[in-house]
Formats: sequence, structure tokens, C-alpha cells
Amino acid sequence: MALLFKKIAAAFAFSPTLEGLLTETARVQKYWNSELILIHVGEHSQQEEQQLGELLEKIGLSEYGNLKIVWEKGNPVDRILKTCSREQVDLLIAGALKKESMVKYYLGTIARKILRKADCSVLVLTSPSILPTQIKNIVANTEDTEFIEEVLTTACTIGQKENSNFLHIVREIKMYGLTMSATENCTEEEYAALRQNLVQDEITEVEEILLRIPHEGLKVNVKLLSGKSGFELSQFAQRKNAELLIVGAPQRKFSFFDRLFTHDQEYLFADLPCNLLVINPRKEVSRG
Amino acid sequence: MGKLNHSDVVHLLVQLGIMLIVGRILSETARKFKQPAVVGEILAGILLGPTILGMIQPEWFETLYPTSSDSGIVLTGLVQVAAVMLLFIAGLEVDLHIVWQQGRQALSTSFFGLLIPFSIGFTFPYLFPDFFGIAPGQQPIIFALFMGTAMAITALPVIVRILMDLNLFKSKMGMLVVASAMVDDLIGWLIFSVILSLIGKGNDNMSFLSTLFLTLSFAILMLTVGRSLLNRALPWMNKKLAWPGGILSISLALCFLGAAFTEYIGIHAIFGAFIIGIALGDSEHFSERAKEIVHQFINNIFAPLFFISIGLRVNFIANFDLLLTLAILAIAFAGKITGSGLGARLGGFSLRESLAAGFGMNARGAMEIILGLVALENKLINEKVFVSLVIMALITSMVSGPMMKWVLKLK
Repeated sequence: MALLFKKIAAAFAFSPTLEGLLTETARVQKYWNSELILIHVGEHSQQEEQQLGELLEKIGLSEYGNLKIVWEKGNPVDRILKTCSREQVDLLIAGALKKESMVKYYLGTIARKILRKADCSVLVLTSPSILPTQIKNIVANTEDTEFIEEVLTTACTIGQKENSNFLHIVREIKMYGLTMSATENCTEEEYAALRQNLVQDEITEVEEILLRIPHEGLKVNVKLLSGKSGFELSQFAQRKNAELLIVGAPQRKFSFFDRLFTHDQEYLFADLPCNLLVINPRKEVSRG
Repeated sequence: MGKLNHSDVVHLLVQLGIMLIVGRILSETARKFKQPAVVGEILAGILLGPTILGMIQPEWFETLYPTSSDSGIVLTGLVQVAAVMLLFIAGLEVDLHIVWQQGRQALSTSFFGLLIPFSIGFTFPYLFPDFFGIAPGQQPIIFALFMGTAMAITALPVIVRILMDLNLFKSKMGMLVVASAMVDDLIGWLIFSVILSLIGKGNDNMSFLSTLFLTLSFAILMLTVGRSLLNRALPWMNKKLAWPGGILSISLALCFLGAAFTEYIGIHAIFGAFIIGIALGDSEHFSERAKEIVHQFINNIFAPLFFISIGLRVNFIANFDLLLTLAILAIAFAGKITGSGLGARLGGFSLRESLAAGFGMNARGAMEIILGLVALENKLINEKVFVSLVIMALITSMVSGPMMKWVLKLK
């Protein structure tokens, strides 16, 4: 299943990271040769508009014909998401702090709210740079989502474009179930065989999906994790010094309660291990 | 500290050795027939206890397990500690992460899986308390509340094992059943704790309302603030203390302190152990490996002692009541299969899958036996009801897997 981000939007503010954000956006835009929309919410001066024009020219985006700039006023999250919905945006790019203060985290910041509420894919950049470095390590999570194939397609596309060193594909092995079911009912040999079968099943599943996705030239490493899924995923991405973590959108939208009893992707949102891309291709499906 | 004399020490060690050996032989036999270890352990108790050994060779039984001796008191204490530890690992098994992941669907399945068996289990014993074996002097409403809870509880490890055997553990249905069973267990033990406080076996100075308030406060505090504090302390423990000794001793120390606290406020110690288990097990820093070690330690040493001790104290033949057992079995099957099945169906599963979820949730296993024993000790039920509950727990655990397999048409 080829996933194409036909239309990309970047939400921006006139902050010190603006140039980095636009530079990274330009890089992502080139992957799929997408249409590009820049969204700003809030007051802005003539001088700031001029500053944006200069930056776009510097980055080379001003020459790009399909660029559209949308100026909005009101609640930032609300306006950004409504614009994305109206413009049928496939991928929204925004900057985000790696970690928010506890109070801000529970109240929800703009980037985190977008991650939780968006109906399209979202890429949050923790430290957008004006000199983007190669994405050497990509981690793709293929658990707890219905978009496994889309996650892998995107990961392979980016990996090939960036000539990445490694694509780490993460699966989860439920040691929890194994422990409970095997502690009193298996011999050592049976336990080892059971464990081996679980591992093999997961690897086979990934290999079967990869058969349908072009990934020539990419070094693929299938990694099995056990424990609390989002937390272990975050730890693994940090251990591998990943520049990009790709996950599928969860099956339901998270609320305050999910933050209070942190689980799955809320672990990632609480402390972003690196740039995070949440794949949510529901709009493409509904458009037919 | 008091001291056992030489012969009592020998006696105690022989008692423990024989219990563990016979328990192991029979649990291995149960394993050969693809049955849970608890089936073999209960049978070992029946074999060593008044039911068989006491009937065939009463003097041997009296010599081996005398009713009044210092070694007997120590053994009783060990068994009580075993019950506390069993509930502690039952708490560790409750992975709130899976519950939140499954969201509302799990809540609806567990709601019906709790409500319907509880209602049926409450109604019949309330209307016919004598038939259902209410203990003398006990209030019918409290007895009926207990029977409702006994029907509502599930055996998570049995369910997980069945789902793993059928290769359904990671499926949508498997995860839903597991999450629902966790919620049912949590609420079931909360209700049971309140029932225990209603019969006032604890601290006589505290009123029911105070005890109820303390129970809920303890549960809520431990699952929020306590859980958060443990989550912050565990990385330090993992880094600074010897592994796995550090985490093993600290977690068991917390389990005993929590158990002591709930026992002090007038609820049974096992509730405190259960809640501490949940709070600790929910931490992302309490590794799967640590859980496995705690599991192995408790499941293979203390669990057999606990389950074998049941057969040592109750005569299963003298207290067997066929009609009562059949009635309890009928209520248990009807309530849980209908309730959980309906919940799963409303959650969007097919009729076949919903029935399978109902059969899975019907397994009662070890939890039912612990619940029954605590009720027996607190004189809430008589020995006949207890024997029927144990039989129900064993039968539901034994047939759940085959019934799930049959309804899902798996080979």
C-alpha cells in the first residue's frame, strides 16, 4: 500500500526555531513532492510577514509554485486542525519541546494537543535545525495500530530517500502472558520452545509485510520489545540514537485520563525521544 | 521471639517437605492432562488431609498434621503469608496499561461480566439462604453479597494460559477478555473487602463507615500517589540495589506492610497485598524479568503450600453436597457466560467470539478458592459451601479452554 502525502502543512510561529522548522519542512516536502501550506495562528506584523518571505526565499521555498500561506486568528489548536481538515492536509508538521513541565503536560500544550486530536498524520520536530543532518536511524513501531503497513511504507520511503543506516522495526512480545501461563505449566525446554515460537511468529509477520513494500538498500533490524509498550519504545529509540520515530495512530483518541494513567503513546508524548511521526491515513481512506 | 522445640522443628520441616513433594507429583500429573497446577495441589491436600489419609489411616494423619501443636501454628502462619503473597502476584498481574488500552470496550464487557453473575449470585442465596449453606448467625444480605462476589470473580492466570494455548492472547478478543477480567477482579476484591468489614472481624474500634472510607482511600491513594512514588523510587532501586535481591525483598516488604495496614483497619490483609501488587506492577520500571522471578518464587513454593493446606483442613467427602454443588455450578456458568458474553457482544464482537469471551471469563481458578477460604475463616459460609466453591473453581478452570476451543471451532 503506497502512502503518499499529497498535501503537507506546517504550523509555525515567529520563534527562534522558525528557520529550522521551515528547512525541515522543505526537506519533508521533497520526499513526496507534496503541495505545501504554511499555517500561522495569531496576530502578526508586516515586519514578520517580510521576515517569513525572506526565510522562504533563503530556503528555496518561495520559488515553489504550490505554496500557500494561511493566516488564522483564534485558538491555535482549533484553527490549525480546522485548516488541516478544510484543506485536506495529509501531513501536519509542527515544532515541539522535547519535554514539557508537569503542569503543562497535564494541561496539554499546542503540539501535544495536535498529536492527540489530529485527523491526519503529524510530524513533530523536537529541535528543527537550519542544517538538517542525515536521518541515520529510523525506528518504526508496528504494534497497537491498524496502520502497520502504512507505518512501514513511510519508514522505508524516508529511509531510502535519506540513505539511512538502519531501519529498526519494533514488535512487541507479550512476556506478560508468557510469564503467567508458563511459570507453572512448562518444563524448561517447553518454556524455551514457547518463547522461541513467539519470537519467530513476530519476525515472520514483519517479513511478510516487508515482502509487499520496496525497501532495497535498507538495513532492516527487527527488534522485539517486552514491557510497557510506549515506554520501552521510547527507551529503545533513545538507545539507538534514532533521529525519527514512526508510529501508527492509536485506535482511539487519548484524553486527560490517559495522561493520568500513562500508557502507550502517552509515554512518547510525555518525553519525546526524538522527532516523532504519527501516521494517520484515515483521510486518504475516506476520500476513496 | 518465641522458639520451637527440637521435635517441633523436625515436625514442621517434615510437614513442609511432604506437602511440597506430594503437591509437585500431583501438579505434574495435572500438567500431563493439560490442567492447571492448582488442580493437582488441591488433590494433594485432599490426599494428605482428613478426606483420604485421615479416613484410611487416622493415626498417621494425626501424627503428621496434629490439630494442636506449635508446628501447626507456624504452618498456619506460613499459609496465611502464602495467601497474602498470592494476592500480591494477582495484583502484579493486573496490568492497568492493558485496561486503558482497551478503553470503554473493556469497561462495558467487565461491567456486564460483573453485574449479571453478581446479580444472579446474590438473588438466589438471598432468597434461599439455608439451601445455600449460610453460616449460623450470619445475616442473609451479607452472605448473599459474598455469594454474588464469588460468582463475579475471575481467574486471570487461567484465562491468560488458555488464550496463549489457543494463540489468541494478542488478538483483539484476547486483550479485551484479559482487560475485562482485570477490572472484574479489582472491583470484586474491593466489594469483598467491604463485605469483610461488614462482618466486623477487624478492628472493633472502627465503625463500618470509617473502615469503608479507609478502604477506598487506601485503594485510590495507592493507585495514584503511591503508584507515582513507586514509579519514581524504582529506577533508583534498580540502579543502586543488587539485582534481583533488592527488588525482590523491597517489593515483598511493601506487600507485607500494605497487608498489615489493611488488616489493621479491619479489612483482610490480602486486600492490601493485592493493591500494592497493582501499584507496583503498573510501574514501567518494574521489569517483566522481576515479575517473572517474583512469580516463580511464589507460585512454586508458597502457592502449593496454600492450596494443599485447604485439603488439610476440610473434609471434602463429609462436606460434599451434590445439590448445592450443582446449584452453584449452574449459577456460576449461567451468570458469567451470559454476562461477559453480553458485554463482549455489545462491545462489537460476533456471537461466536462473545460466547468464547464468556467461556474464558468463566474460569474461576485460584482466586475463587482464596476468596472462599477467607469467607470460611470469617465464618461467612460453612464448609459445605466452601467445598462446592472449590469444586466450581476447579471445574470452571478445567472446561474453559475446551469450551472456548469448541465455540471458536479451533483445531
